[in-house]
Amino acid sequence: MTVTVVPEPTAVPLAEQIAAVVTAHPAVAGLHGGIFGAVATYLPGRRLTGVRVGEGDEPVELAVVLHLDQPIPGVVRDLRHVVSGLCGGAAVDITVADVAVPARYAAELAGDGLVDTRP
Amino acid sequence: MTTPTAATTTIKSPTGTGGSPARLADDTAQGKTTIAASVVQKIAGIAAREISGVHSMGGGLSRTFGAIRERIPGGGTGASNIAGVQVEVGEKQAAVDLDLVVEYGASIVELARAVRRNVITAVERMTGLEVIEVNIAVNDIHLPDEEDDTPAPAPAVARVE
Repeated sequence: MTVTVVPEPTAVPLAEQIAAVVTAHPAVAGLHGGIFGAVATYLPGRRLTGVRVGEGDEPVELAVVLHLDQPIPGVVRDLRHVVSGLCGGAAVDITVADVAVPARYAAELAGDGLVDTRP
Repeated sequence: MTTPTAATTTIKSPTGTGGSPARLADDTAQGKTTIAASVVQKIAGIAAREISGVHSMGGGLSRTFGAIRERIPGGGTGASNIAGVQVEVGEKQAAVDLDLVVEYGASIVELARAVRRNVITAVERMTGLEVIEVNIAVNDIHLPDEEDDTPAPAPAVARVE
């Protein structure tokens, strides 16, 4: 006789719910590890980059890459409102770690010749 | 020459700085907002290039330093890959330094004024940070007959054998 252990269907972790809501915003290009790569949640089996839910009074940390199609303060306000709602009104620290630049600018911005060889 | 800050500096400045548009930092009770230096760099770089008469950006020391910095581990945290733009970002304010190569024939004074205006408008609009200064260095002038892809003149053929 074999005993099959059926794991309890666990609820979706809060960090994953936050990640889903945040990436659903049209101005969000993706999540980011933050300036030092420290904004992450350690889930069983994987690491969710870009969201960190603090304990107790600690704020929720969020690090995002945005599209440049609308002003950042408005997007940040939207994200803070929706994430704070999910977390019962907790403070939400948001880092805009980078922006996704339209392709036509990307090459230009990187600069052509990096080393100026002219005298 | 000061070393551009690689990562975002978070400056706890006293609140209530006159008439500054405190659009970003007015929600501190609900959490703070940090905008990375590379965000401001990219916006400023795009805004500067939008002005016709700007041929390219970077030049001189900044290009060389950029190339070196890219090879230093950790030196390239988002801040090194934008040629000709250095920024300092605080919680409410940003300062921008630009290195330009201009087209020959453009009035440099007018051009610099237009670049400064466009950069300030773009950064303030997109990030909500107050731009306190935009320093512009015109490093070179691009002459019409100067082809970009011309390799350095080949060493002259030796006259003696």
